[in-house]
Amino acid sequence: MGGNHGEGIPMYVLHYAPDNASLIVRLFCEEAGIAYRTELVDRSTGAQDSAGYRRLNPAGLIPALETPDGPIAETGAILLWLTDRHGLWPDPALTGPFLQWLFYLSNSAHADLRRLFYPEQYAPPGSMPAHHDMAAARMVTHFGLLDAAAMQHPALFTPQSALAPYAACLLRWSALYPRGGTGWFALERWPSLLALAQAMDARPGTARIALAEGLGDRPFFAPTYPKPPEGRAT
Amino acid sequence: MYRLHAAPDFASTITHLALVQIGAPFELVNQDVDGGALQTAAYRAINPVGLIPAMETPDGPMFETAAILLYLDERHPGVLGPAPGAAGRAAYLSWFVFVTNTIHPLTMLLVHPERAAGEDAQAAASAEVSAQLAGALGHLDRALAGNPALGHSGIGFYLAVLLRWMQKFAAVRADAIDPGAFPAISALVARIEATPAALHVAQAEGLGPTPFTAS
Repeated sequence: MGGNHGEGIPMYVLHYAPDNASLIVRLFCEEAGIAYRTELVDRSTGAQDSAGYRRLNPAGLIPALETPDGPIAETGAILLWLTDRHGLWPDPALTGPFLQWLFYLSNSAHADLRRLFYPEQYAPPGSMPAHHDMAAARMVTHFGLLDAAAMQHPALFTPQSALAPYAACLLRWSALYPRGGTGWFALERWPSLLALAQAMDARPGTARIALAEGLGDRPFFAPTYPKPPEGRAT
Repeated sequence: MYRLHAAPDFASTITHLALVQIGAPFELVNQDVDGGALQTAAYRAINPVGLIPAMETPDGPMFETAAILLYLDERHPGVLGPAPGAAGRAAYLSWFVFVTNTIHPLTMLLVHPERAAGEDAQAAASAEVSAQLAGALGHLDRALAGNPALGHSGIGFYLAVLLRWMQKFAAVRADAIDPGAFPAISALVARIEATPAALHVAQAEGLGPTPFTAS
């Protein structure tokens, strides 16, 4: 099952699972008024590994977005392609910082957070605590730099910018999903990111998506485990 | 005019290749990494993360290899990848981002396995990372074989440098990546190695006669 969102006839199909990285793309589309249709990737049956899904994204990662130019995988790539296609670039003077922080979110923060979700892919069973501590320390550094960036460039971190849903979702997932504990995560240490989480929670688009994916009332400031009406987060 | 803050055989090699290919005027500023240049306040003002590369642009400084490549791609469309709005841009961006956020971090862990789980677990972590990397390269190799248009120089330059490091600088020799297992990637990198931009950069940075293809 799926649903229509945004204005007009959707030209995009977002393959999603609740509270997966597809959430970043979905929030971005809601804010920008980009029409899309969702298609659930049912993780309970391993649909992300099915031949059909692998044709969209050979790496089997969620999300994938079907477009008139063919399927796109990778959250950062989808955000960039939509930003180009829909003329959503920030002030030209901010192109460099926008790209820099988008890739910092994607390559550094998201990549290291993934280590905390799937530690067995990166370290042997006997060294999980050491692996956890090193990856967690890197996340603290990442959020510190992102906090400073949000203070320096508030225009880049408004809810309409691709950076905001990306940062907000990493904050949410940091509070919920790391194996080996979340004691390192304390939103109040990063006041600009805390404000961003609150601003995202207050958006009507966030409320619509939170309802659709069962994310609760304050999905970014006070995250709870999802209770989605369809599909599974993990 | 761009100023690229660089060091030989660092990730700046990727952006150096792109700048030469584009042909825009730029100045190369080599940073004394061993001498602590990246920790200075002056460098941190350009790149708060303290890594190489960073680039000064007419709009101010920026960092992150992939961000610099895409900035150049936006400013000089059609050289590094399909131009924004052109057919093939969707697939190109998908795999470009996969290279930057999956293959690049795994390569760094292969070179520095102590960063995965500490000094005591280097050998085991290296084996895990090498297996992950081989899987990721397999996805990319099959995609390249099915769509040669993905072999634009933006992906090609990035892959060439990472493939060099996977072969030469794996901390555990047995976990080094054998490019022969990835024929489409090997073919792309061999093609890149023969380009004037690659010959120029290999010479300028002292990377040797076959910097990207011979382990």
